[in-house]
Amino acid sequence: MSDLVLGISAFYHDSAAALVADGVAVAAAQEERFTRKRHDAAFPSRAVQYCLDEAGVSFDDVSAVAYYEDPRLKFRRVLATFAGAAPTAFPFFRDAFPSWLARNGKRHTDRTVRRELQKLGRGRVPVVSVRRHHESHAASAFFPSPYESAAVLCVDGVGEWATTTLWHGRGTELTPLAELRFPHSLGMLYSAFTYFCGFKVDSGEYKLMGLAPYGRPRYADLIRDALIDIKPDGTFRLDLRRFEYLRGQTMTGSAFEKLFDGPRRDPEGDLTEREFDLAASVQQVTEEVMLRLARTARDRTGESTLCLAGGVALNCVANGKIIDAGIFDEVWVQPAAGDAGGALGAAQAVAMERGASRDHLGTGRDAMSGSLLGPAYDDDEIGAYLTANGIPHRRLDNGQLAEQVAERLADGKIVGWFQGRMEFGPRALGARSILGDPRDPRMQSAMNLKIKFRESFRPFAPAVLAEDAKDYFDLRQESPYMLVVARVAAAQQLEIPESGATGLDLLRVRRSTIPAVTHVDQSARVQTVDGRSNPPYHRLLAAFKARTGCPVLVNTSFNVRGEPIVRSPEEAYVCFMRTDIDVLAIGGFLLEKSEQPAWSEQSDWRTEIPLD
Amino acid sequence: MRTFLLFLLYHLVVTPAGLLARLVRDPLSRRADANATTYWIPSDRRHR
Repeated sequence: MSDLVLGISAFYHDSAAALVADGVAVAAAQEERFTRKRHDAAFPSRAVQYCLDEAGVSFDDVSAVAYYEDPRLKFRRVLATFAGAAPTAFPFFRDAFPSWLARNGKRHTDRTVRRELQKLGRGRVPVVSVRRHHESHAASAFFPSPYESAAVLCVDGVGEWATTTLWHGRGTELTPLAELRFPHSLGMLYSAFTYFCGFKVDSGEYKLMGLAPYGRPRYADLIRDALIDIKPDGTFRLDLRRFEYLRGQTMTGSAFEKLFDGPRRDPEGDLTEREFDLAASVQQVTEEVMLRLARTARDRTGESTLCLAGGVALNCVANGKIIDAGIFDEVWVQPAAGDAGGALGAAQAVAMERGASRDHLGTGRDAMSGSLLGPAYDDDEIGAYLTANGIPHRRLDNGQLAEQVAERLADGKIVGWFQGRMEFGPRALGARSILGDPRDPRMQSAMNLKIKFRESFRPFAPAVLAEDAKDYFDLRQESPYMLVVARVAAAQQLEIPESGATGLDLLRVRRSTIPAVTHVDQSARVQTVDGRSNPPYHRLLAAFKARTGCPVLVNTSFNVRGEPIVRSPEEAYVCFMRTDIDVLAIGGFLLEKSEQPAWSEQSDWRTEIPLD
Repeated sequence: MRTFLLFLLYHLVVTPAGLLARLVRDPLSRRADANATTYWIPSDRRHR
């Protein structure tokens, strides 16, 4: 009998559930995929139900439940913030304090979690243990990693107090070494600029990162003078007088307006050179801090491998810089580096204490199963859905799928690819992906405007056969979870005529043999695909290469802008019909857009899905 | 009524507590320290 531990993250953003058996993740999913509310913070009832269903168990079989944060420690930080910001922050106090004070309020989230789990009626729920936020991140970064021992660095907005933590992982133990505390937070700094540039906090940060290559870091010195004091070891303090988040209402205020030439950008307003330059500037400062912290991590632990987690570990450009700098021999980033991964980490921390061992060590592989930990739908279920809804489709033989899809991709078609278990974490990894030919110069704008219906500055990212990765990208190691950015290899870069183009005009300049996935600075967020975690995906890439000579595909997530990645066949079909995707390859079935009946909906879905 | 009570609580309890605390040590450690070589807070097994 396996020892089962269930981990939960909930109530702040990215609620999730993860089930761990003898220390290994066997099921994990974010609640947003079930409720269709992006970054859903509500209690993850459906994700929990899924995890139990996947393992075929009830709570009677679960030894322990772990929550990813210590609510009472967090309350002490909230109180300190109220006291520290007084007397100018009454509105924040008035709005936030009661929910903490209330009898079943935020101070006792662990009891709320137990109550909610009990309500599911699936057996007697064990007492809920809490694990600290950064411990949960660190556990998710280290325990599934392939390393017997490693330095572990977790950087985020804030958990209870800690915002930046350094650990030494050895075997089944994680030793905390040092930390930085709220309000000094790299995640908050990045979120402040996200907000100031008109994007949404906690979801728009990666848009800011995507904007950075369009600008020049002309504000970086100002940021270092006025906002953040960085020590040689990478530790830092922010000047809180320039930020508003201690008063709770917004991230920035008039201080930023004075420093950075004017008011915050209106969310759907035009992007100007200022935003590009601000993005480039804060990105540069973030990279500087992360690089220095990485060096400190190596010096303090003596380890040659690094594990990363926390929201700032989603800054894949910074991750790429750490790898390029050669500070470590190898870096492993938890695929669910944000708070959803805290559910997994909390469960693993408890599992290790209960005597689990890390059996995968020595195999050279990690224990994340390719992060394919969500629900799958077999051909019977998919077939039943298609037939019941009169959806024209063709059933393929096992061997035919890769060939047929590769043929269409080579023809310039855009393919919705729905295979196997759903990914855990923000990236699509070839289970719920939209795929396209990266050599096609029109693919980026086509996908942005007609599929994702999103801002046109956002680049797409490549998946590449692991064995061919070095021919296309300057990547020193594998990157199976798409959390590392690398330069496109010189052999693939093209001569760029001096055009004097700046800003968004840079988009139109063709700079490599794989333009759809090459960002304006010749970089790409790479997914290396080996045959082990996702054989059908590997077969598809191989078939595309056999046909075209190119082992690379555009891999973007299967969803429109603002909605979570699709989970079920129905959601996949709806996205397929709402967009200009040409072909849907779902399980053993192929659907052609040209054969589909006309699509109509009662309401305008574009107004219903909130902009992200 | 509740807002009024919160208002009183804020100005009669939270604010003085905060101001007093800051006389001794800012609970949020906001001031930069030019002389320090690091801002790391070493971990011990127990947190406060």
